[in-house]
Amino acid sequence: MNAPRPAAKAASRREFVGRAGGGFGLVALSHFLGSEMHADEAPTSDLNGGIHHRAKAKRVIQLFMNGGASPMDTFDYKPELERLHGQALGPKEKPEGFTGAPGAVMKSPYKFARHGQSGRWVSEVFPHQAKVVDDLAFLMAMASKTNVHGPASYMMNTGFILPGFPCMGAWISYALGSLSKDLPDFVVLPDARGLPYNQKANFSAGFLPARYQGTVVDASDAEPIPRLFAEPEYGFARGDADADTVALLQQINRTHAHSRADDSRLEARVAAGELAARMQLSAPEAFDLSRETTATHAAYGLNAPETLDFGRRCLLARRLIERGTRFVQVWSGPQGAIDNWDNHGDITKELPPIARSVDQPIAALVQDLKARGLLEDTLVIWTTEFGRTPFAQGSLGRDHNGGSFVTWLAGAGVKAGATYGRSDDLGYQAAEGRTYCYDLHATVLHLLGIDHERLTFRTSGIDRRLTDVHGHVVREILA
Amino acid sequence: MRNARISDARRRVLRAAVVFASIFFASFAETRADEGEAFFSEQVEPILRKRCYECHSHAARDMQGGLALDWRKGWETGGDRGPAIVPGDADASVLLRAVSHDDPDLQMPEEKLPDEEIALLVRWVENGAADPRSIMPEAAAVADAGDWWSLKPLVFPAVPPFAGDNPIDAFVNERLAREGISPSPEAERRDLIRRATFDLHGLPPTPEETADFLAEARPDAYERLVDRLLASPRYGERWARHWLDVVHFADTHGFEHDAFRPNAWRYRDYVIESFNRDVPWSDFVREQLAADAFYPESPELTAALGFLGAGPYDHSAAVTAPMSFENLDRDDLVTQTMGAFVSVTANCARCHAHKFDPISQEDYYALQAVFAGVAKGDVEFDDDPAVAETRRRWTALKLAAENRDAATLLSEENRSLVAEWEATRGAAPVWKPLQVETYVSAGGAELKRLDDGSILSSGVRPEVDAVVVTGTSDLTRITAVRLDVLDDESLPMKGPGRMDNGNLHLSEFELRSFASGGAGGQTVKIKRASADFDQIGWTSQLAIDGDLKTAWGIHPAVGVSHYAVFELGTPLAIQPGSKVALTLKQLHGGGHLIGRFAVTVTDAEDLSLSALPIDAEAAAAKGVADRSDEEQATLAAAVLKVRAERELAALPPRAKVYAAGAAVENERGVVRLAEPKSIRVLSRGDLDKPGDAVGPGALSAVTAIPARFDDAAASASESHRRAALADWIVHPENPLSWRSVANRVWGFHFGRGLSDTPSDFGRMGSQPIHPELLDWLACELRDGDGTLKPLHRAICLSAAYRRSSANREDLAAHDPDNRLLARGSRRRLDAEGFRDAVMATSGRLDLTMGGPGVQHFSTSPGPQMTPKVDYDGFGWDSPGATRRSVYRVVWRGIPDPLMDALDFPDLGLPAPTRNFSASPLQSLALVNDRFVLHHAKTMAEHVRLDREAVADQVREVVCRTWLREPTDEEAAPLTALANEHGLEAVCRLLFNSDEFLFLD
Repeated sequence: MNAPRPAAKAASRREFVGRAGGGFGLVALSHFLGSEMHADEAPTSDLNGGIHHRAKAKRVIQLFMNGGASPMDTFDYKPELERLHGQALGPKEKPEGFTGAPGAVMKSPYKFARHGQSGRWVSEVFPHQAKVVDDLAFLMAMASKTNVHGPASYMMNTGFILPGFPCMGAWISYALGSLSKDLPDFVVLPDARGLPYNQKANFSAGFLPARYQGTVVDASDAEPIPRLFAEPEYGFARGDADADTVALLQQINRTHAHSRADDSRLEARVAAGELAARMQLSAPEAFDLSRETTATHAAYGLNAPETLDFGRRCLLARRLIERGTRFVQVWSGPQGAIDNWDNHGDITKELPPIARSVDQPIAALVQDLKARGLLEDTLVIWTTEFGRTPFAQGSLGRDHNGGSFVTWLAGAGVKAGATYGRSDDLGYQAAEGRTYCYDLHATVLHLLGIDHERLTFRTSGIDRRLTDVHGHVVREILA
Repeated sequence: MRNARISDARRRVLRAAVVFASIFFASFAETRADEGEAFFSEQVEPILRKRCYECHSHAARDMQGGLALDWRKGWETGGDRGPAIVPGDADASVLLRAVSHDDPDLQMPEEKLPDEEIALLVRWVENGAADPRSIMPEAAAVADAGDWWSLKPLVFPAVPPFAGDNPIDAFVNERLAREGISPSPEAERRDLIRRATFDLHGLPPTPEETADFLAEARPDAYERLVDRLLASPRYGERWARHWLDVVHFADTHGFEHDAFRPNAWRYRDYVIESFNRDVPWSDFVREQLAADAFYPESPELTAALGFLGAGPYDHSAAVTAPMSFENLDRDDLVTQTMGAFVSVTANCARCHAHKFDPISQEDYYALQAVFAGVAKGDVEFDDDPAVAETRRRWTALKLAAENRDAATLLSEENRSLVAEWEATRGAAPVWKPLQVETYVSAGGAELKRLDDGSILSSGVRPEVDAVVVTGTSDLTRITAVRLDVLDDESLPMKGPGRMDNGNLHLSEFELRSFASGGAGGQTVKIKRASADFDQIGWTSQLAIDGDLKTAWGIHPAVGVSHYAVFELGTPLAIQPGSKVALTLKQLHGGGHLIGRFAVTVTDAEDLSLSALPIDAEAAAAKGVADRSDEEQATLAAAVLKVRAERELAALPPRAKVYAAGAAVENERGVVRLAEPKSIRVLSRGDLDKPGDAVGPGALSAVTAIPARFDDAAASASESHRRAALADWIVHPENPLSWRSVANRVWGFHFGRGLSDTPSDFGRMGSQPIHPELLDWLACELRDGDGTLKPLHRAICLSAAYRRSSANREDLAAHDPDNRLLARGSRRRLDAEGFRDAVMATSGRLDLTMGGPGVQHFSTSPGPQMTPKVDYDGFGWDSPGATRRSVYRVVWRGIPDPLMDALDFPDLGLPAPTRNFSASPLQSLALVNDRFVLHHAKTMAEHVRLDREAVADQVREVVCRTWLREPTDEEAAPLTALANEHGLEAVCRLLFNSDEFLFLD
């Protein structure tokens, strides 16, 4: 790239983006295009790619269990539930966001056992993750401010319960730019059965420039990056015709920009065109899972129908971060009442299939990253938008519960086997070490070398942060 | 620093004196006390500052619970819970109890302090709570409310002396001269016409328009161009979209259940029409906030209320978490309204007083109270004023008839309506007996046909019953069925019912017709029921309302016969052999059954049919001259009610707009709010911590206008609250509103406002680069006729607007962002501008205006309310596909990929400005999106028809897109590309060229 170095002017990158809308200085060009030309607050090798302090992680894979994964049937073992099973101990009136009045206490129908050196309790619905628990660190008392899917999903993704805010992937992409010029910075891999609650608004750049939003990729598509190539019916835009057209286009745009040298947006367009061409060359290889061994396919569960979709996307996530994508979000479950983690009706029937669909792929992902050394600087997060009630809904279901739920982290900078927080004896509310999305986000940014209080973007009169006015780095789970 | 913040010199002196005195007189004080104070300043005060001041300090202008922790006296006196600290006694100190989070009812701050900090606080209290802060701090600087540019009174600024006729240039040039910058010359004409046409229409000029303009010799050519552009309806389409961004309008809910709003488009059309009609700004504000209150005579303006429904709606939370939903939904309306109309971020005061601007929590919740009486959903209205007038007239008459309003009923006009009825009624309708074939009681009563053809029920009296009667008629058509319920000696109280008191309840009357030999039959719709007598609350109409719980009754008029007439929706043709079956459902229970009845039918015309109550029938029997006023009113009440209902039924169905109101229809059914909800100040914005109730109002910082709407609060109609806010906004002495709109208009013309935070004029926003110019524009608008077009005209005709955007080396250091407008600012087309320009240049733009939006996608059912939305398979030749982008359906949570790539905003939040971005994914979208490729193809096909030589074809497509001839250096490779890969490739290239995508 032959773009000019930014002026030495000590202004933050955010200020330049904040002035989006007209009249950019030269420095602004760096925002449009990548990470290597930032003024101050640019990722530096001194900081291992961080912008405020030395980074432990360079990339993130987030596994999002859409619908509200039940803690007391997976990772949060609650023997008290067995003792109190059948007793009416819940709130008398329907709390905000519950879909019905709480029923009696309901024990988990699943057997729990201790696993690994850490002796972590895991239920029988996660036999594969049970084998990697020593690589994971758990937040056992995460809480949400709402019991409603839409706002809660916004919260876990953007830190706000209202729409219109940038999600974590967009903030990270904005802060750190790309590791690779050949792939999108931020890729979202939704469940093949559909988008999660809030549709694409969970991956929005909000008020940040659109380039930071998640690129939604259909992993089962032959050409997964949308519009990477023209469709076959447009022969004049394929193959040699495409190459010749784009070459001349770039030349014409370069000439146009040259006579308007003070406008960095025109240079940005030219540079973006060059990067697009590189992406066309690199992306197909990155998305081509046939390059993986049969053993890898088997490990990720690509041979079994129930694990095929999630396994494929986990494997793709690994290939993408291996090649420089900064943030990959893998979703389990579409919106709606079925095929996800929103197990209102019958926890014995609804949880096992969705749990089975992710369990082996997740364990394979952790093991694969570890074996390749990628876990050294890759952070893996397993989370959901809220938990579920220890009280029965109907006779065998569980309702929404923002009171307490589980998130785990693994990889770069995370203290393997650590635990922070504890829910009450029913698993209903956080009892100790409660963490909100703010704390999770602050911790993730911290690991990436970003001070969550200093990553801001001014819009409508407020210096907005991912963590709003909250957030503490959860040092208890850091290595 | 040991001292609390002290702001003025006098206090500093005073403080010095106090410190001096304390040192002097306490010279024998223990060293330990000094240590205590040092400990406080170094260890304790930073904790208080960081953790507590946000809600308990003068600096934050917030002392929740009456407690201030920023000086000694504050915690000594304490707040609602008494002294916060008891020196030396940690256990008795409320503050320590709160921070420890041990007491579930008292946990502060919300996020528990780290244990080390709590330990420091405990140690400080145990050691006597030394605290040297003896002077009450002043509230933060924001207390000086009016001392901020946007809140200062708006007065016409003096126009600097200048040589020219446009005051805008006087301001701009004066500043440039002061800075020693020379303005750039006027742009070339090609750039000027492109700039003005995209700016005012969002479209490119045609090559012909461009050529004409370049050739135009008259000196006022440009002025005529601007006037032509402003007069075109394309102007409203362009500028409406700006406003729709500002108010985050979209066609779906957003959130989890991102459902389509089929009636949202009427607001979009209202905005387009309003811009095109150049409605004065104050009217525009009033209509959007409270058209129902201001203009009840113009119901078509109801579409304006779509403003209130522009934002997102969380259907799921509305159902399962109504308290938090309503709070946040009102918050969104406050954010939208205050940002859009007065450029104030009032929502920042939801949890605490605004950190930077003089907005208290009370102000914020007063604004919430303005909207406390509305819910989002569809609102019905007549979009044709004539229909509205007709509906109003007949509705009023129906009401007068129902209330037996004698004055109205006896008016000349209504007497003649009664006379009209008498003239058309003619002879009483002839009722012919239904030729009954079968009759059966489902409940097991014994039915017997009497000699007169009537049917008597006897024997066992079931709890409930359904009687089915079938029969035929020799009439060729039936217009009504009459059910006589007859008295009979065998019945209790002589009937006509079988209930002990002689009553009956006919829950539902149903009619089916069977063609000759046919089975199954068809339900025959009954349009009206009437009876000679209705029990109060049990009218005959209730027997055809589909509700099995309601019924027709006749109590207390028992012991005599009655009848009800059931008029058919459309006449029923009777062929030989066809039959009818009627079902008399009597489900009220307790033996409320018909005792004896007869069924007759008629083919008489509509008007004469309805049964009149007994007393009205008696009045009708007298000649008009013989009737008393009493009798005339009785007759009129009966006749005119029927007439009014008939007239109302004949009116076209009402239009709907997705808006908000006291009564709306949405997915939850009809939602009605009898009165506004009580709004309380929420401590920290927490619904579990409600404080004092507040009435509707606005910002206290605008001191010229009362900030609380007491009259509106007392009004029975919630709409007066919204009206009061509208009046507050458009008040001539509200300095914010006029600056807000003037700045917005300027910003959309130049790509950037004079203040470049158009929805935030607070201390976190940007101060205007030309404050006097902004005030001049605002005053022109306020003190002129309040319409925007003169403002557009003045701006577009200014030299500042017309300058060349060519590079100026000399400005790179001085004003690289061109804030002072020494030259033109280059702009990229926005998403709509690009799409519309592609369609216009390829000759496919469809200029049909208004109506339901066009969906550039297909939908299929999703798992719940949100459908699957597929943009990829859309056929760009399908009907309406090439209408202007403002008419497309905007799905809030599932954006159009092409529009998205070109920075169409996320409308979860208001979007006062559009971003600019460039990225490889955007480049890929622009070169490969099917919309672009399809139009490249169609343009090529179109141009090939007219021109044979490839070089000519290339020249033509270049002229269309760049509005100029290609140079030889350009023509050669483009022609080569066309020869090699087709003209389509050239079209695709041109659509992606920055000369097309940017405006010089």
